[in-house]
Amino acid sequence: MNALLTVLLLMTALTGSGVALTRTPRRQVMAMAANGLVLALLFMALQAPDVAFSELTVGTAALPLLFLVILASIRMDRSPRDGDKQGPDKP
Amino acid sequence: MTPRLRLIIFLLACIGLMPAFAHVAMRMPSFGAHPLPYGETINAVATKERHVTNMVSAVNFDYRGFDTLGEEFMLLCAVTGITVLLRGTRGEQTSARPGVLEGRPIRPRSEAVMLICRIFGTLTLMFGIYVALHAMTTPGGGFQGGVIIASATLMIFMGETYRGWRRLMHSEILDAIEGGGATLYALCGFASMVAGKPFLYNILPLGTPRDLFSGGLMLIENAGVACAVAGGFAVTFLEFLEETRAEKEDPE
Repeated sequence: MNALLTVLLLMTALTGSGVALTRTPRRQVMAMAANGLVLALLFMALQAPDVAFSELTVGTAALPLLFLVILASIRMDRSPRDGDKQGPDKP
Repeated sequence: MTPRLRLIIFLLACIGLMPAFAHVAMRMPSFGAHPLPYGETINAVATKERHVTNMVSAVNFDYRGFDTLGEEFMLLCAVTGITVLLRGTRGEQTSARPGVLEGRPIRPRSEAVMLICRIFGTLTLMFGIYVALHAMTTPGGGFQGGVIIASATLMIFMGETYRGWRRLMHSEILDAIEGGGATLYALCGFASMVAGKPFLYNILPLGTPRDLFSGGLMLIENAGVACAVAGGFAVTFLEFLEETRAEKEDPE
C-alpha cells in the first residue's frame, strides 16, 4: 500500500465521517458529493476506472442533484391541494 | 432509552464482538491480493476469444450479458416507477415556469456562467459519447457514457435556467430513447436465437482487437445500454426538476 492509497483511504474516512456528522440536509448533500469524489479518486488509484467513472457521475452529479431538488421541493411545500392550507408559494 | 444507556449498550456490544472481529481481521488476505481465479481467467482469454481489450465490457456484454439485460430492465422499472409516482401526485401537465420561494428570487444567469456552461456542457456531451463509443477498447462503456451524457444536459439547466432547459428536454423523446435502448438490447438476444444460437450469443464478426468496432454483437448491446441509461437518467432529472416548477400552467 503506497502513500497515495493511504492518503485517499484517510480522506475517504474523513469525508465519510463528515457525511455522518453533518446535521443540515443541504450541507449533508455537499458532504456526500465530496465523499463520492474521494471515492472516485480511490477507485481510480486502485485501477478500477470503470467503477470510478460510475461513482463520479452518479455520486457527485446525479445523486446530489436529486437530493437538492427534493429539498427544494419540500421547501416549496406544494402538497396541500385539497386541504388548502397556506403554503409559502400561495398568494 | 436515554442516550447514555444507548452508549453503554453500544460499548458492551463492541467489547462482545471484538474477538470475532479480530479473528476475521487477522485472517483477511493481504491488501491487493485476491484469491479468486475468475478475473485472471478473463484477463487471459477474453482478448483471444472476444477480440476486445476492455475486460469489464467483455464480462458485461458477453460472458454475463444476460445479467446486464436484467439490470437494463431494472433501470427501466425504476425510472418508470419514479415517473408514475411523481406524476401521480403532480398531474400530467408540464410547465416551463420555475417555482419561486418568497425572498429567493431567481436571478438571470450571468454571461460568464452561461458561457462556461455552454462550453463545458458541449465538452461533457462529447466526452460522454466518446466513453460510450470506446467501450470495447478503453475503460468506460454504455452505462458510464450514458450517465455522462445525461449530466451534460444538467449543464444546460445550470447555464440556461429551468425555463431554457425545460424547452429543450422533451419527455416523449427521452422516453423513446430509454425504451428503445432497452428494447435494442433484448432484440440482440432474440437475433441470436433467430440465427439458431443461444440467447445473446455473439453472432456478428468480432473484428480486430484494439479497433473501435471490435466485439461484434457487444457493440450493438453497448449502444442500447448507452441510449437506455442516458434516456433513463435524463427522464429522472426531468421528473424530479418538474417538482420544483410553478404550480400553474405557463400563461403564454
